[in-house]
Order: sequence, then structure tokens, then C-alpha cells
Amino acid sequence: MARQRKTYLLLLVAAAVALLVANGTWPHRLGAASVPPRQPLPGAVRTVPAAVHAARLNSGTPCTGNFERHALPYTTTNGRAPIRMFNSNGSGLGVDDLDDDGDEDVVLANLAGPNAILWNEGGLTFRKQSLTHGDSRAVNIVDVDGDGKQDILFSRHTLSPTLWRNLGRGRFVEDALPGVEGKVYATNWADMDADGDLDLVAGAYDAGLEKDLGYNFMFTRSGGGLYLYENRAGQFGYNKLSERAEALALALPDLDGNGQPEIMVGNDFDLSDQTWRRSGVGWSQITPFRKTTHSTMSFDLGDIDNDGVQEVFASDMKPYDQDVRTLAQWRPMMAQMPHQPFKGDRQIMENVLQVRAKDGTYQNEAYDRYVDATGWSWSAKFGDLDRDGFLDLYVVNGMIANDLFHYLPVGELVEQNQALRNDGQAHFKPAPEWGLGSTASGRGMSMADMDNDGDLDIIVNNLGRSAELFENRLCGGLGLLVDLRQSASPNTRAISARLTLHTSAGSFHRDVRVASGYLSGDPSRSHFGIPNGATVHSLDVRWPDGAFTTVKNVLANQLLTVTR
Amino acid sequence: MIGRDRAWTGSFIREVRRDPLVQLLSPREHTRLVLTMSALGLLLWGALTWQVGMPVWGATTMVLGLLLVPGGLKWRADMRQHGVTIMILSVILTMQGFHSVEHLAQWIQYHVLHWQPQRSSGLISAANAEWVHFIWNWGVVGIFALLILRGVRNRWAWLLLGWSVAHTMEHTYMLVRYLQLKQELGLLGVPQISAQGLPGILGRDGLLSTNPTLMQICGRVPGITTISRIDVHFWWNTGETLLLAATAHRFLRGHLTRQ
Repeated sequence: MARQRKTYLLLLVAAAVALLVANGTWPHRLGAASVPPRQPLPGAVRTVPAAVHAARLNSGTPCTGNFERHALPYTTTNGRAPIRMFNSNGSGLGVDDLDDDGDEDVVLANLAGPNAILWNEGGLTFRKQSLTHGDSRAVNIVDVDGDGKQDILFSRHTLSPTLWRNLGRGRFVEDALPGVEGKVYATNWADMDADGDLDLVAGAYDAGLEKDLGYNFMFTRSGGGLYLYENRAGQFGYNKLSERAEALALALPDLDGNGQPEIMVGNDFDLSDQTWRRSGVGWSQITPFRKTTHSTMSFDLGDIDNDGVQEVFASDMKPYDQDVRTLAQWRPMMAQMPHQPFKGDRQIMENVLQVRAKDGTYQNEAYDRYVDATGWSWSAKFGDLDRDGFLDLYVVNGMIANDLFHYLPVGELVEQNQALRNDGQAHFKPAPEWGLGSTASGRGMSMADMDNDGDLDIIVNNLGRSAELFENRLCGGLGLLVDLRQSASPNTRAISARLTLHTSAGSFHRDVRVASGYLSGDPSRSHFGIPNGATVHSLDVRWPDGAFTTVKNVLANQLLTVTR
Repeated sequence: MIGRDRAWTGSFIREVRRDPLVQLLSPREHTRLVLTMSALGLLLWGALTWQVGMPVWGATTMVLGLLLVPGGLKWRADMRQHGVTIMILSVILTMQGFHSVEHLAQWIQYHVLHWQPQRSSGLISAANAEWVHFIWNWGVVGIFALLILRGVRNRWAWLLLGWSVAHTMEHTYMLVRYLQLKQELGLLGVPQISAQGLPGILGRDGLLSTNPTLMQICGRVPGITTISRIDVHFWWNTGETLLLAATAHRFLRGHLTRQ
């Protein structure tokens, strides 16, 4: 009898283990996609001298514990009523100091109305300068010609991108990027061929092009797909990496830590996201992620646990609330456009947070860390909003599309933007007390210190409503801003440089990049939050060519300009 | 070595045959009828689904209807031979067994065939509705309570009752949410949209997964707040089946031996 019991027990345990393993619930990392091991940087560590200029930051307005909303004198308009896909995708924005006066300016793209620059005149007052045309999507602020002045690139839905070349003193002239003919949507910049200048990576939104320009257009030279335009002394060389793309987001991370960026394209609909890595003279596709988002709307990179390795966040569509009223608004739409998985499909319809394990594999931990659901999410970005040393997350959301949401008033899914506070353990909690829950249907979004007081403010380009600036008036912590300059390089703002700030509360990492989130340009100025009571030791700069500079005697509440 | 293995296998099979649970579930004199009906049912199932194009759920229901004939005869024999209580036990064991097959089918559709959760509805997909789950589970709880009242009392029986009540509470919560969602969809003018498939208390996106206190204490508990709805109910039913088998085994061991 005892033997019989033992046999039953053994069979039971074996069956349970088999089910658990097949279920994928345990062990967690079983079957993770293989990714290349982290490579050491080529060659010996090379240190280079750099000049450092420090300026004190403003003292700022008294803190109130939340963000104060300011409506900006600008509205992205659609021109067509009612709004239908894909006009409901709205437009992006960019932030950077365009006139070198020390203040961050804002550039906003528009669909029907003119694009605009909002010149920052200090004290959070802005002067609007309209540019000639709209029909624009992404905004990149980048020194394309290496003359030290930040130019503006707009991607346009059915036309090739347009460049506004910065002539200095606030003057711009419209130009084309020589050799760039693709009708592209999402754009980003980095030195992709390690020749010192900045190259353009651009992805088209094929569904939109097909709708507006017809199916035959897709077979032309400039029809659809993913492009790498290599900068050859100002002329851009054409390299089509993929024939198809539904690119809403592009990121250029250094996933394997070898100092060379990979290309990540975030595709909408059933087309899976793709990751490309340089191999020899060409590019090959790799699959570093076991799970990816289905309708990828944006990418951001950030070291959320301060371990020196960047995590990758991608936003998708999933209701942030499971109450029946919210679900009732989503259900009919989801019935219209269900995710139809195919063999080998890695896509899930929720946000993903790719966390790199010690063995080099990436694991999606969005659900475990409470960032899987932020609504119909567009731009999502990390930033240390509360200056506690840990990156928080802000996501703008909402959707207006009469063909999808015909059962809702004016076809609009009204959602609150989601602010998620990092609890210090790299888990996130909603922070409604910050007052960032705008319901104005945000699309593009960027973070920058707009009043030079050491904290991150937020600018949102909404669809059909005034753009918004959220002035950071949270209490606690100090800030440090860092501008990098390379006087002898065409990459004058040191795009792809890595910054590490060493403090008594740990080391914090940032990278300099042109764009992230959804269609949104990032400032080249990096921001660090420094927790209360922490002292700053030094700042390490890893320049784009791999050389290092260490800045000592760094003080908080400063704007450092490090010039190589 | 091979001889020892054979001897062990032989003795294992003899012991399994002597097991009271196996004895009860054995069709005994109806074995031939059960096998014939099963073979006929399988042929019919194949013909109806592949040749006639009948939906899987319809064909499966017909096959189950066929198997009811030998089932009914066997349960009548159980009642004559062992009395009402053991006959109820025999019926509920068989039905719970088929119910578990249905959940296993869903599990395979979802995890092995990688179907969408909505599509992974098992073999009798038409029965995969909140109302059916709700009625079925309360019915099962009623039968377990009745068995206890009729003397099937052992620690496994009490555990089984507790487990099935907890399972049924989850289905009650899901039915309430289902009805609320139906109402909301009606208010939006889209009553034809399905409200089926909402998460319950446990599992991914369930009530516990968004509980602020749990969030504070331990975050998302692997399994309890992370597995899919299909897995949640697969495990609920696996637990229920195992506890039922243990309850019956314990009860029958004494009872059938006495008889």
C-alpha cells in the first residue's frame, strides 16, 4: 500500500512539474531568446582632456509637490473631420537650445497647420514662430552639417523629410537632405558607420503610405520600408534594410555594449519589431527579445535600476484600468482589430520592459514591474522627475478615430496620461498626486529642464488641443545638467555619448541621443537627479568614439558644459 | 534486470486494478458497450467535423450524448450494487473527469497550438460562457455538500468543499463583472460585443494583481497574479479533480472493502 501511494505521488509530482515547465511559469528564463554576450570595448581605455564650464542653475519657484500645467500657444490640427486613422496618430515635437542662449526651445510638428518654434524667452514664456508647412510627423533637432548649430528635421507623411538649416541668430532656411527621398515617418540619428559623423535611420509607415499614395507606390524606390542613410560628407547614401516597415518608433541602443549602436524599429500592427546589428560592412537581423509589443508606439532606453545596463521600454495599447467602464470602451475596438498570432509570433498587446539578465538574455518584466498597461500609449519616456536618483516613467495616451471608436462621443477614447514613480527597487507605482494626468490626447512628448532650475519639465504635443507644458514643482533632490560639445567632430553634440555620474547614493547613467518615445526629439542636454543628502563625486563621459573623460569636483545645481 | 522490471510493472498493474477508485470507475459488464460507443463516437466526430463541417462543439456534444447511454446503464448498476451515495460519487467523478479534459484541451489550444485566448475555448466552445461556468460550479459545490451530508466525510472531502467554494466564488465574481460589462456595452450602443473572458480574482490582470496592499507587500506573486485566465481555471479544475479523487479513494477504500 505504501509503495502504491509512493508511486501515485511520484506520478503526480512528475505531471505537475511537466505542466509547469510546459506552461512557462517556472523556471522563468526557460527558452529565452539567445543574444550575443556583452562585449568589452575594443582597445585599451583612452582618456582625453576636456574643458569644463560650470554655470549655476536658477533657484526655481517654490515647490508645491506636483506639476503645474501651462497651455502653450500651439495646437496640432488635423484638417479633416471627423478624424480617422491614420491622422489620429498626431505629431511629435523636439526640444533643444536652438539659439545657444542657454534655454531649451521647443519645436512642434503639425498635420494641417504650420509647424512652429516656441522660442524660450525665460521664465517659461515663449515666443511663437510659425514655419511654412505642416503635414509633419517626427521632429529631430540635430546638427546635421556639423557646423555647431542645431538644425531641425521634420519627417512628413507623404513627402520626404525636410531640413531647416540653422543659420544662427534664430534664422533658419528650408532645405532638403541630399539623397534622402524616402517618405519616412520615424527618424533617429547616430554614428552608425563609426566614421565620426551622424547618419540617419528612418522608417516608413507603410499602411499610411498605401492608403494615401496607393499600392503601386510601395514598389517604387522611395516606397515604404526601413532605411539607413549614411552621411558621406553631407550627401546621404541609400541603404534599404527592410522592404516593409510600419515604423512608429526607432531606437539606436547599444545592446551588447560594444560601443556600436544597433537599430531597433518598432512596427505597428502584425509586423513584428526588428533589431538590426552591424556585421562587417552590412547589417543583419538579430532577435534579442523573447517578447515584443504588437502595436509598438514608442521606445525609450533607461537604466531603471542603476546597474549600468540600460533597460528598453516599448509602449503598446492596453487599458490601464480593469474596471468595467474602461473595458467597455476598449472591447468593441479590440473586436475590430484583434491580434492574430502567427507561428513564431513573439508579440503581445501590452507594454514591454526588456531587462537584461546577467547571462545576456533579455526578459520582459513589464508586468512584474507594473508598467505593462498605460492605456492607448504614445510617447513614453524615462526621466528622474522627482530627483530621487531613479528614473520614473511618463506616458501620454488617448485616441481619436471615428472609424474605430464610433460608439464613443466624437470618436474619442479619453484617457489620463500616466505618471509612474520608480520606487527605488525598479518597480513603478502610479503617481496621480503629481498632477500629470492630462486627458488632452497626447502624442509627442519630451522632457527637458525648461526653466533651468535643475528639474525635468514635460512638454506634450496633443492632437486637437493646446500643447502643454508641465512645470516640475515637486519637492526634494537637486539637479545637474550636462552639455557635451565636440569641437573637432561633425558630431558636435556627442550623440551616443554615455554619461555616468558618481554620487554617494550610487552611480547614475544617461546617454545623449536625438530622439526617443513617439516621433519626439530629445534635448542633447542630459539631466541627473541627485537625491537629498547625496554628494556628487565625479562625472565620467564616454565619448562616441570610446574615449573617456572624467570630470572631478562636480557640484549639484549646475549646468556643466564639457567641451572636447 | 528486465525480468525485475516486468515483475514490477505486473504488480503495479494488479495494484492499480485493485484500487477502489479504479474499481468504481471501471465500466465492468458495460465495457464492450463503452468501447463500441467510444469508437462509434470518434468515427462520428471525425465524419461530422471533417466531412459535414459541423462545429467541433456540436460534434463533441453528440459524442458525449452517445456515451451517456452506457454511462446511464453503468450508474444504474452502481446504484443497485452500492447505493445512491456511491452512484453520485461515480457520476461526479466521471463528469469532473470530462470537465478536466475540456480544460486540458483549452490549455493545449493556448500553450501548444498558440491560439488566441478567446479561441482557446476547448472542445465544447459554446459552453464556454460565464453563465455555464457559474451554474456548473455552484452545481458541483451542491453535489460535494450533498456527498458530505450523506457520509462522505474525510479530510479530503472538507478540503474539496473549501476548494470548490473558493473556485465558485471566483466564477461568481466573474459573472457579476460580465453582467456589468454587458450593461456598459449596452449603454454604449454595442450590445452585440462579447463581454466574455474577463479576468477574475486570480491570475494576470485579476483583482489581486492590482491590489495596492499586495503591491506594497510583495508585488506581483508569481502564479497567483501572473498566469493567464486559461491557466487559472486549468489549475482550479486540476486541484478539484485531484481532491475529488483523493476523497473518493479514501471513502471507497473503507466502503467497498466492507461490501
